[in-house]
Amino acid sequence: MKSAWRWFLLAPPLALLLVFFVVPVVYLFWVSLHAGSTSELYGASLTLRNYGEIIGDPFYLTIVRRTLGIAAVILGLCLAIGYPVAYFVALLPTRQRMVAILLLLFPLMVSNVVRAYGWVALLERRGVVNTTLSDLRLIDAPLDLLYTPSAVVVALMTILLPYMVISIANTLTALDRRYLEAAQALGASPLRTFLHVTLPLSSPGIASGALLVFLLTLSAYVTITLVGGPRSKLLVSLIYDSVTAFQWPRAAALAFVLLALALAFTGVMLALLRPGRVQGSGR
Amino acid sequence: MTKVPTAGSALRGAATLVAFALIVVPILIVVVAAFSPNDYFQFPPPALSMRWFVEFFGLDNMRGAFALSVELALASATIATVLGTFAALFLARRGGALANVLQSLFVAPLVFPTIILGVALLLLYKTIGMPVFAGLLLAHCVVGMPYGFRTVLASAQALDPSLEEAGQSLGAGPLRTLVLVTLPLIWPGVLAGWLFAFIVSFGELNTALFLTGPGVTTLPIEIFSYLQFQGSQLVIAAASSVQIALIVLLVTVIERVVGIARITRAR
Repeated sequence: MKSAWRWFLLAPPLALLLVFFVVPVVYLFWVSLHAGSTSELYGASLTLRNYGEIIGDPFYLTIVRRTLGIAAVILGLCLAIGYPVAYFVALLPTRQRMVAILLLLFPLMVSNVVRAYGWVALLERRGVVNTTLSDLRLIDAPLDLLYTPSAVVVALMTILLPYMVISIANTLTALDRRYLEAAQALGASPLRTFLHVTLPLSSPGIASGALLVFLLTLSAYVTITLVGGPRSKLLVSLIYDSVTAFQWPRAAALAFVLLALALAFTGVMLALLRPGRVQGSGR
Repeated sequence: MTKVPTAGSALRGAATLVAFALIVVPILIVVVAAFSPNDYFQFPPPALSMRWFVEFFGLDNMRGAFALSVELALASATIATVLGTFAALFLARRGGALANVLQSLFVAPLVFPTIILGVALLLLYKTIGMPVFAGLLLAHCVVGMPYGFRTVLASAQALDPSLEEAGQSLGAGPLRTLVLVTLPLIWPGVLAGWLFAFIVSFGELNTALFLTGPGVTTLPIEIFSYLQFQGSQLVIAAASSVQIALIVLLVTVIERVVGIARITRAR
């Protein structure tokens, strides 16, 4: 009875999320189940054809495969670079660690379009890298660095790397050092200690970092367009193109293919690393 | 035994240096380029000049986009934080299945691919005929609300419940307790949430990409379309530096007022 008034607190935020988050996504799914139309937003008949066309068309499958390939490379690099960096940051004294975390957080707050533009300014034909190399007489003609899949990988990887570092550093900082001491006291080598104690205990950080990096890679239309150019299109570019061509059911179906990839990856991460299993035990 | 850790830590130090360089250099380059005196960016710059900032504020499109981004961020951060605070206060002392479902729902926009939200909202707006600014504002509220929710929830859960009980047992009604006891105690969380929602709105791309319209464009989208259709000119560096400068200002405020530790936990 005393807390009955609290239900009034719930109504406005819940209404916002239901009307402008849940309803539009459900509506988008409904539209994805309809045929296209030239005069209306979507046709009248219910059909699974949009999904069938995506799954049956080699063009779409190539794009999906390219999207997953680039996401996998970005994820691998983020993990390979991010883990040692997180380890370094986690071992810093508290004050320095705070400064390092602040330095990692700040770029995440700058708009991604600005960070992508930084890579354009570095990699374009008259960009910093090309002019520096030709000033040093290392190249005769400017290199085509921009508008390549590698440029997309490098730019997106560095844009998303702080998420991975912060996620892993947070779990490593919270890790109870006595586990490591116990392993070493029992005769485990540093490598064995790392593989059998540190790495499994930091898996929740790896899982949340990997999820953030993967999900944000799937959505990164602006970075992919600016750095990858028209030839390095990914799934998200196709969604955008379908919207600008007013092919709503096609755009909707592609969006749900992207969402399915996101959900599948989330499921794989949770099953593989089972972050819940070790959560809390390392604190 | 001692040699292996030192080799390892040297490697980790090197990786850290490379990583920080890769993360920070593209942002620094943009700021340096903005102060170029020439038509094209030379590195190192021969002199420093403000001409591209003058040009930026002289372009109606750019100035308009900047003003709209600030208005949008102020309005959406305020709405998102108020609603996020409501949700957090409701859920702070509640357990059970319903509370868990609601909690997941309130943080869902954080992990949901925002590009899909953008498409879905555009489709809904086209169907119901939503005005451009209102639609953009509501989208930014949805994207910003989880930040306010999470920071306030952390503050509210850390609160000693006996303080609220004391207020109520001394005869204060629920509203008086909220305003005189709870809010003064959780305000750092509220402020941190607001600043976060502001920053997220000010840099937001994936929903704004679909929801901006002619004459109603945010600064990040204006930068994006300028880069796509007019190429990378230095006025973009100035526009980007204005974006960065505002973020630096806000981060300084966060660090002074609430401290950086709260933010890492909020993420």
